[in-house]
Amino acid sequence: MTDNQSGNEKWKSEVDKIKQRFPERKERFNTSSDLTVQGLYTPDQSRSYEKDLGYPGQFPYTRGIQPTMYRSRYWTMRQYAGFGSAGETNERFRYLLKQGQTGLSVAFDLPTQIGYDSDDPMAEGEVGKVGVAIDTLEDMEVLFDRIPLNEVSTSMTINAPASILLAMYIAVGEKQGVKPEQLTGTIQNDILKEYIARGTYIYPPKPSMRLITDIFAYCQENLPKFNTISISGYHIREAGSTAVQEVAFTIANGIAYVDAAIEAGLEVDQFAPRLAFFFNAHNQFFEEAAKFRAARRIWAKIMKDQYQAENPKSWKMRFHTQTGGSTLTAQQPDNNIVRVTLQALAAVMGGTQSLHTNSRDEALALPTEDSARIALRTQQIIAQESGVADTVDPLGGSYYVEALTDGIENEVNEYLERIKKMGGAVQAVEDGYMQREIHQAAYDAQKRIESNEDIVVGLNDYKLDEEIHPDLLRVDEQLEANQVERTQKVRKSRDQNEADKCLKRLRQAAVENNNVMPHIVDAVKAYATVGEIANVLREEFGEYAGM
Amino acid sequence: MKPIRVLIAKPGLDGHDRGALIIAQALRDHGMEVIYTGLRQSAVQIARAAVQEDVDVVGLSSLSGAHKSLFPKVVEALAAENASDIPVIGGGVIPPEDIPYLEEKGVTKIFTSGSPTDAIAVYIKQMMNHEIRTAPKKIAHIGIAVESLEMALPFYQDTLGLQLEAVEEVDSEMVRVAFFPIGDTRLELLEPTMEDSPIKKFIDKRGEGIHHIALEVDDISKRLHQYREEGISLIHNEPKQGAHDSQIAFIHPKAASGVMYELCQPKKED
Repeated sequence: MTDNQSGNEKWKSEVDKIKQRFPERKERFNTSSDLTVQGLYTPDQSRSYEKDLGYPGQFPYTRGIQPTMYRSRYWTMRQYAGFGSAGETNERFRYLLKQGQTGLSVAFDLPTQIGYDSDDPMAEGEVGKVGVAIDTLEDMEVLFDRIPLNEVSTSMTINAPASILLAMYIAVGEKQGVKPEQLTGTIQNDILKEYIARGTYIYPPKPSMRLITDIFAYCQENLPKFNTISISGYHIREAGSTAVQEVAFTIANGIAYVDAAIEAGLEVDQFAPRLAFFFNAHNQFFEEAAKFRAARRIWAKIMKDQYQAENPKSWKMRFHTQTGGSTLTAQQPDNNIVRVTLQALAAVMGGTQSLHTNSRDEALALPTEDSARIALRTQQIIAQESGVADTVDPLGGSYYVEALTDGIENEVNEYLERIKKMGGAVQAVEDGYMQREIHQAAYDAQKRIESNEDIVVGLNDYKLDEEIHPDLLRVDEQLEANQVERTQKVRKSRDQNEADKCLKRLRQAAVENNNVMPHIVDAVKAYATVGEIANVLREEFGEYAGM
Repeated sequence: MKPIRVLIAKPGLDGHDRGALIIAQALRDHGMEVIYTGLRQSAVQIARAAVQEDVDVVGLSSLSGAHKSLFPKVVEALAAENASDIPVIGGGVIPPEDIPYLEEKGVTKIFTSGSPTDAIAVYIKQMMNHEIRTAPKKIAHIGIAVESLEMALPFYQDTLGLQLEAVEEVDSEMVRVAFFPIGDTRLELLEPTMEDSPIKKFIDKRGEGIHHIALEVDDISKRLHQYREEGISLIHNEPKQGAHDSQIAFIHPKAASGVMYELCQPKKED
């Protein structure tokens, strides 16, 4: 001990001397969440290995949710994809599977995400732009053509109309001879972060929360292997939050969903094992790796201590990660490959269950096939060539990473306490609290870039005189007209009587507070459109007007 | 000088408003008044908001790839609201090769990803200043108050030898007007038709003589707006109908050393 202390003191006095001749680059070093970064970290005797870290696969899961992690199986390489028509996206899906991707992730276009058919006036100009346009079961059948749903797990980024797209997935499975209980995958189904950060809400918070608990209850009975929600910090971070805010607001939302499900009469150990999470992997490597570790530990403690969940599966935070889209630059786009590599590495160090790596051209447009392949290859190189997947939690025990993990946990808990005092996440969202916090952080970050306090390579330093313009993916302008025609044809050829009957029963269930899921499944099978089903619920639930 | 007013709008279904919110705050920090529409605005909603809020510039943000369809629609909707003088600028995820198309469709300027907020603020300020300094095109006419056209006409027709172009009654101003083209401009003789005509009041107070000088402009609404913001005394805050379907408004003489100026925007040739 005395030796240590004298070593420490000697080091400090040397640092003071050196600083006089060579001042440090900054007065104060800090993380994105404004945690102070010391020049050196040393052992911290107040931390208990057993209690604070534990072994992988054991409470509080700081080091990972499985005992062997990637030594058994790599994370799922799941690239988010979708654009244009169902046919085009199906081709991209089959290309990615052929290139070694191990799970699917569907990007829907904005009209689909907001419950408008492609021929709705609100959809004009947006059809097939940021994802695939799905109006009817027929589109969904094309989307998964020659992709056996019992062999692939599918993640769907769908929120307000999650129940409709899940119903279509069930129906396509049945047509392929796959039973609902065999289906694996995830629906995002996280409406709270839509109000906070992403904007594809339809209904007000209350009925939206009810739709979510309807899905929980239905899946518990019928799709036991399906993740019923992916509680997402990703978009909160993209909207400009810090790492701490990302974890804090995501977990606050998670608590709100758990409360809503319990209120709806569900048992915590029945639904909690099917809750999944979704985080961002940003630039600051150590802070990000520590963030994932802290998030796992916080959630485990909440589920075990606050909710008295008994099933260890309820304690485990399983999460998907995507690299940070907002960190990509339109300038010198190939530099983004390097950013994505570092971010992906942080996600792997943090023990993610699945990963999407962004493509280099995403600050300009949707990725080309070449760009999407490089992004996937980035994961494959990390997995196969770097050796980082060969031991569990390789950063565990790093003085710095453990200090960051503790620091993030403390700051997150402070936020959670504040949100609890406000009446919970739903209230905090309605009051605009999280939105304001995120905006302030986003604005501060922008100012730091504009003052050159933060350097973004190629943007505010290391610029080129002549910018590079890569070839970009263009969505065919004809697509919208074709999709409109397709949908109108389906409406004409279906059994209208049957479709009407199903929609009527759905309306009744919505009014009488019965689970709407079975009725939505019937309606999509009768080829009722996404817009028609969403409109029935719009009429009964009303629409959220925004802040 | 009154602050520049900006409408920041999110057309279409895109929900990503980090950029829009940052721009809004940055422009506020530059002393502008910023109205943010919120998400999912139609082109017509945006144009109406721009007119109602009486803004100087509209800033659009879209990250969904729908800019080629949505931005020109906002330009069209502004034209339909008679507000083509409000410039439209935009930003978001916009490939550089789309910019010429958008400019051709009437979008004044596109700021692509990575543009500093200060550059956008400076651009807006320059755009506004530049327009304030655009000189009127010419003297459209000189208005001369007369007791009676009959008494005054011989001097102009016979002594000066000017050609009488027309005599017209302008009900809104309660005057009868005789027009004499001269060079690139005109002389207008104004005869009051009613007791409470402004021309009658002018004559009663100051006698016959030069009443006003009319300046031809092509941006009358914008100019009035700018003058209002700068605190210039105006007789008409909004343009009103003048002769030959033109739009007119008067500036108060106390703003110009006792001379009354009229702004006059002729009817657009179709």
